Amino acid sequence: MADQEDAGALQSLLMSRSLTDAELLEASDTAPDYAILPDANVVKIGGQSLIDRGRAAIYPIVEELVRAKGEHQLMIGTGAGTRARHLYALAADLGLPTGVLTDIGSAVAGQNAQMLGHLMARHGVPVVGGAGFGALALYLSECGAVVFPGMPPYDMWQHVPSEGVIPPYRTDSGCWVVAEVYGARSMIFVKDEDGLYTANPKTDPDAKLIESTTVDELIAMDLPDLVIERPLLELMRHARYAKTIQVINGLKPGLITRALAGEHVGTLITAA
Amino acid sequence: MTSPDHLFSSKDVPSSLMRQTLLDRELVRPATDRPVIRLLPWLHVVTIGGRSIMDRGRDAILPLVEELRAAFAKHRMLIATGPGIRARHVFGVALDLGMPTGVLASLASTEAEQNGHIIAALLAQDGVSYLPHTSVSHQLAVHLSASPAAVSNGFPPYELFEFPPAVGKIPPHRTDTGAFLIADAYGAARTIYVKDVDGVYTRDPATAADGDAKFLSRVGAAELLAMDLRSLPIDRLVLDLMANAKHQEEIQIVNGLTRGNVTKALRGEHVGTIIYKDS
Repeated sequence: MADQEDAGALQSLLMSRSLTDAELLEASDTAPDYAILPDANVVKIGGQSLIDRGRAAIYPIVEELVRAKGEHQLMIGTGAGTRARHLYALAADLGLPTGVLTDIGSAVAGQNAQMLGHLMARHGVPVVGGAGFGALALYLSECGAVVFPGMPPYDMWQHVPSEGVIPPYRTDSGCWVVAEVYGARSMIFVKDEDGLYTANPKTDPDAKLIESTTVDELIAMDLPDLVIERPLLELMRHARYAKTIQVINGLKPGLITRALAGEHVGTLITAA
Repeated sequence: MTSPDHLFSSKDVPSSLMRQTLLDRELVRPATDRPVIRLLPWLHVVTIGGRSIMDRGRDAILPLVEELRAAFAKHRMLIATGPGIRARHVFGVALDLGMPTGVLASLASTEAEQNGHIIAALLAQDGVSYLPHTSVSHQLAVHLSASPAAVSNGFPPYELFEFPPAVGKIPPHRTDTGAFLIADAYGAARTIYVKDVDGVYTRDPATAADGDAKFLSRVGAAELLAMDLRSLPIDRLVLDLMANAKHQEEIQIVNGLTRGNVTKALRGEHVGTIIYKDS
């Protein structure tokens, strides 16, 4: 009964108030949550960290993903990598805006999805994007996995960063938003380090692994470098489903499987 | 860039951002600090409100369409439409069904698109067409070389990838924000919001007692946010985003129910509320 009263109040606020009205926003918070694909897991395969390494890194990962899809539904998102960095450097030097960088950078994540898709094709795994997301449920139930380009479709409408022109929301954010909107079971970022460090472990020998942390702690630490996109931390604060993410090392065999089983094998980052 | 040499390999494309996480501000800055050019410096972005104009129907829409048509001789424009009352209805149904913000964003975007098709149909004889997002981002230049205007969906193409909002489930990126982001990306000359009020008041003029609603003819975006007014004729997210805008130093909200306002605003005259970048 209370539910029906809430719903009635929400309907009337929706029809009469501005969409920025505080009361309306709070009322929309009381609407029920329905997780669309609660059994799916989003697994992001890094571009620079893994795909650019080629066969040595990717073949074992593909094998592991193929084994895992028998047990878990997988939505496999791709990063961009070194070609996107070349595009960003070239376009930024020409004075082009963030929107153009987003658009051209997203093509690189698309190429990586295409290649990963070809490697998994014999196992029945399709590449989906755009309108293809409409058939996700079918693909997941029939083939156990899909591959999608991780870049979100913000294109010319991408947010502009506070300095410079690098698109702030890239493939980490794109994959995470997919996990959030579908109410997925887990969000796993597969990279080439054991997790999040206090500094970039590739350039700083004193960098220390952080096994577990929270979004608020990370924002407060304001580390100079980070293993995931910084604006994603802010998005996670508002999560309903994807409140925990795990960053793991895809160069170590078996970790994807263990992370899918719910084990803590990298860095866990949790929103309060 | 001071990474050790052994980290570079034939698997990298050489560039000033090579091997970067793109998250270390000190490393990214030198590679990306060029001033941003204006791609379409002559572009005017005109946003037609959904609730404020489209839902009023013929009486509000036809005079506005006439005014835009008359302005085509002097200005090239992208007309962005909002969704209005049907978005409110579909939000209601979808929220009741338990749908997340990304689904709400897709559904409302469809309604903004339908209003765009309506405006485009009314201006078809002038060479105006509705453009989907992908044409707006890739072919706007050729369309506006062949025609004085194009119409598009004011909602940005965030849809399923919409951000979860700070409070509740209403999608934060809507028409006002979409128009602002595309105007800034193209380096447009002006961004004009056509609404059904003269601009920003300190109280809602429709409900406040006489004299309580003070009109703000010129106000800073951060200043306006700090005033924390109960209701605003423009989405707050636009005011947030103005801080980082590369080109849109100001936007104008005008009353589209008053004949001549849009024409004057396109000429650069101050007829409504101008909100300027102040941070």
